[in-house]
Amino acid sequence: MTDEQILKVEALAVRFGERQIFSDVTFHVCRGEFCCLLGPNGAGKSTLLKTLLGFVEPHTGTASVLGLPPGKAGKRVGYVPQLKSFERSFPASVLELIVANLRGAWPITVTAAEREKALKALAQVKGEKLIDRPLAGLSGGETQRAFLARALVTDPEVIFLDEPATGVDASGREDLYDLLHAISADKFLAAVMVTHSPAAIARTAEKIVLIDGTVRAFGPPGELLEGGKLFAMMGLGKSKDPHAVPEEG
Amino acid sequence: MRNAIMAGALVGALCAVLGTFVVQRDMAFVGEGLAHAAFGGVALGLLLDLGVRFSVSWLGPIWVAVPFCAAVALGIGWVQNRGLASESTAVGIFFSVSVALGIVFIYLRTTPAGDLEGYLFGNILAVRRADVYAAVALAVIVGTLMGLTWTKMAYIAFDRTLARLSGIRVEALDYLLLVMMSAVIVLSVRTVGVILVSSYLIIPAATARLLGGSLMRMTLKAVAIGVLGSTIGLIISFYVEVPSGATVILTLAAAFGGASLLANRRRSR
Repeated sequence: MTDEQILKVEALAVRFGERQIFSDVTFHVCRGEFCCLLGPNGAGKSTLLKTLLGFVEPHTGTASVLGLPPGKAGKRVGYVPQLKSFERSFPASVLELIVANLRGAWPITVTAAEREKALKALAQVKGEKLIDRPLAGLSGGETQRAFLARALVTDPEVIFLDEPATGVDASGREDLYDLLHAISADKFLAAVMVTHSPAAIARTAEKIVLIDGTVRAFGPPGELLEGGKLFAMMGLGKSKDPHAVPEEG
Repeated sequence: MRNAIMAGALVGALCAVLGTFVVQRDMAFVGEGLAHAAFGGVALGLLLDLGVRFSVSWLGPIWVAVPFCAAVALGIGWVQNRGLASESTAVGIFFSVSVALGIVFIYLRTTPAGDLEGYLFGNILAVRRADVYAAVALAVIVGTLMGLTWTKMAYIAFDRTLARLSGIRVEALDYLLLVMMSAVIVLSVRTVGVILVSSYLIIPAATARLLGGSLMRMTLKAVAIGVLGSTIGLIISFYVEVPSGATVILTLAAAFGGASLLANRRRSR
């Protein structure tokens, strides 16, 4: 992990009309770092993620991703959306999903080179067998692997994940955390993950940002997890051993 | 009848291509709204009677209806994109205003209302060579635009957010789709009539969706169903002497029924 800041957020604020979603948000993520964004429901985490992706205009403050304004870094940024936002009835295969991200448009046919790249991306998430499967027939865990492979296929430098474990069953979640742990170990790829899951934080976080209308805590997980401080702030109850993997809420 | 079949087949194919996106994006109500806007546009065209005013025989009410319908389509898109109302509310408002305006335009006419019934229910005998040329011109324009934008429109239909992240101009393509829908709907009014034209947009694509396959395969199946359905329906209309809109839609509905049975049998195996 270097000190190169690939994501810089300074005094960022977002409003929707009269409603302040969050304000005075300042933090940064270095190359290769895995940062977890946590907070109670309604804290502004997903809106913050959308702002960093370039979908929402900030009211004040600045954000830069790989030195560029949000939304301008193209394929250097990967994104794994929440499962619930995805339309399952669309006639798509896993291969088409991945190649669409490579091309920036929906594929009619797929070249051998594209198929090879898709397979390589799926191999990173142990999902090679999924390549020709229709998306509609996949379990929650399999779908998230497909979307993770899709995000990784362009060899991004930073990947944003929005609650990737939501909608995934218990065994699928364990596999997912294993994959995310491997991403966390990658010294080139940085990640920003919105999560409610103490288990995910324990397996991946090198930095934590606790949001509740503004930044309540920012830093390495060690001191924040000590004495169950962080989970108490999130309303998840005390954890006696900060290094134990707490039960899923 | 030959003119009607040629125009009907062309327009059926265009409706099927656009209809695949309409069905996939759950925009059936938008199609219904634009059909009602077509009524308003045709009524305005009959009122203005530009063909007689300028002594240009091919300048029928359709040529007033197309820009009218396109303006309504852009209005729906604008209201929705600005977050002023949901898609269904925007459609509901514009649809009722268009119908109300259409009724006013009909009553303002001092001369007989022309072939209003034909425009409402479809009239195979009223399709002239000029309508075929209009259908060909539209097919070339919409076909070219579709050829250039299909892969991006398909990505938008899959997921707007992911499409936007890939640099696709989602709102601009939304407006383009709405304008193409209006032009195709207005041209379909001649053969199928205002009352049933939205079904013309939906049934071939909904039938193809039951048969499965990738989005491109679905589109090609929808085109085959749209072309065959309209040809058979128009031939039936000619011999049975029933308005062509009814026979075309009933033929397509029979195809949908057949595909539903097939799909149901496949699922229960």
